Amino acid sequence: MIGNQKRIFLYALIVTLIVFNLGIFFGYMLEISRTNNINTLYVDAEMELLDQMTQKDALGILNLDCSILVSENINFGDRIFNEALQIQKYEDANRITGEIVLQHKRFDLLRAIFWINSIKIKQQCKSNYHDIVYFYKYNNPPLEQESKQKFFSNLLVQVKQDKADKVMLIPMAADNNISSIDLFVKKYNITQLPTILIDENIKITDVKTIDDIEKYLV
Amino acid sequence: MKLLPVIYLVYMFVSIYFLSLFLFLYFNNRKRLFDCPTTNKKYTISVLVPAWNEEKTIKETIEHIFQIDYPIKELVVLNDGSTDRTREIVEELQKKYPKLKLINKKNTGKGDSLNKGIEIAKGELVVVVDADSYPDKDSFKKLVGFFDDEKVGAATGVFVPRNANKFIEKMQVIEYNVIAFTRKLLGYVDAIYVTPGPLAMYRKSALEKVGGFDKNNLTEDIEITWRLTYAGYERRMCLSTNATTTVPDNIKAWYRQRRRWNVGGLQCISKYKKNFLKKGMLGMFILPFFVLQLFLGALGLGIFLYLVVTRVISNFLFVNYSISVGIPVITSNSLFITPSFLNYIGLILFFVGLVFTLLVLSIMKDTVLKKQNVFNILFYSIIYLALYPFIMISAVYNYFKREKKWR
Repeated sequence: MIGNQKRIFLYALIVTLIVFNLGIFFGYMLEISRTNNINTLYVDAEMELLDQMTQKDALGILNLDCSILVSENINFGDRIFNEALQIQKYEDANRITGEIVLQHKRFDLLRAIFWINSIKIKQQCKSNYHDIVYFYKYNNPPLEQESKQKFFSNLLVQVKQDKADKVMLIPMAADNNISSIDLFVKKYNITQLPTILIDENIKITDVKTIDDIEKYLV
Repeated sequence: MKLLPVIYLVYMFVSIYFLSLFLFLYFNNRKRLFDCPTTNKKYTISVLVPAWNEEKTIKETIEHIFQIDYPIKELVVLNDGSTDRTREIVEELQKKYPKLKLINKKNTGKGDSLNKGIEIAKGELVVVVDADSYPDKDSFKKLVGFFDDEKVGAATGVFVPRNANKFIEKMQVIEYNVIAFTRKLLGYVDAIYVTPGPLAMYRKSALEKVGGFDKNNLTEDIEITWRLTYAGYERRMCLSTNATTTVPDNIKAWYRQRRRWNVGGLQCISKYKKNFLKKGMLGMFILPFFVLQLFLGALGLGIFLYLVVTRVISNFLFVNYSISVGIPVITSNSLFITPSFLNYIGLILFFVGLVFTLLVLSIMKDTVLKKQNVFNILFYSIIYLALYPFIMISAVYNYFKREKKWR
């Protein structure tokens, strides 16, 4: 009797392997689905950025209204900032696949292009909105740095809420081995993370009050 | 993949395996869970009651045993150097019960006391009953049938808390019933790893063959079961007879009892480590089962503490930064979390575990279970079980300090 029942150890192992692998498969599918969502967002964002760039290039030729372009640029900035938050959440929840990290890099690159485009629009339209580029450490930040980055991120959301139409927020991972971003880091001498760069000019690494940032956004 | 998800997956694999194992065993045997073999053979039985300062309970235990509906040859109280009135109470009862014997000895521990009892026991079977336990009337009749099979060296029943009024006692009611049920299931694959002190019946010749109890082990009931297993004896369990036992009614006593159990378990692991993954149920299942519990418990606790400490520090710093600048600590974005697939699987496993606990409680016939409510069962599943690793770590510390604080 007992001898026959000992087969149950094997049956339990087989069932475990099946259930476990189904779980892994389910997890894989979930993560792939999230990565696909990010990919769709990326394709949309990329198209919109191309559209913005085309409008910017057409400004001089077609004599277009600068205020519309500026407004669209700010809206697009808001959108990709919110998408960055979404990617962050998916990244935190991804356990098996590593593709979402690649998507993050693509978005970083997209934001870099967007930043350059934004600088050009500001120059061409003589607009008075502000670029706030937020450089942060992406790969395994130490505990204190991680807390500070979380705080900076919340702080910038607050700034954005206070100065909605005047501010464009561009978060950027500074340690993701993207050559163009590395060039920015070198050019603006970003030696400490997190760093907030306002209008390609003012660097902020410590904040005592929210006015330390908002005073530059008049 | 990072290390932490890999560890989570290992936990999940082990959890799914044991859940599957128990469910298979249950569905394979559900129609005869409460069956216990009957016999026409009349066995002679010696009952051993080790006692150390048991003046509050010894009288009732002895009277209970003499009311059991199976003739016994003798009841031997092994007074292990009690400093209270245990001796006087037993001597008084001897006037009423001629089969009651009293052995007074120096305090040398339970294992040694039982060995003295085995030496003088005249029965073919030896029943060990703790001095604060009360076997059902039919308990011996239900257990003797197992011994018609010469391979069987020990048999036990269900033991459940006698006191079940306080919250901590109610937790132990659930716990003891789950343990009894799973032990019964493990019996179907000859994997019973303990024949507990409140009620255990042994073949005397088997005890003699393996050299009796280990007097240095804090859980002599686990050790003797392992020793019998090692010697090739099978252990059996009857789910349809109970022994009630007094359980700790406060956290301190509960903690000390659990720590003693764990230290005893560690002593057993250490003693039998050479058999790890060797042929036989002891090496192939019982030892790995204990080691896995210890390892996963310690690892889980380590990870849990690491995550809690880092989260607390991180949040403390974040809140400090935020308050100093005057920005909200909680934003709408931080309220929405995106669960990982590990969260989903963990949740499913938790619910399957909960269903298993409910299944056990619905199958077991203990009436005190009816006093349980949803909160108790959830508390047991979420909080009570999570305390095990903490006790285990404390036991490891104690084990290495060679402390034997069991009283």
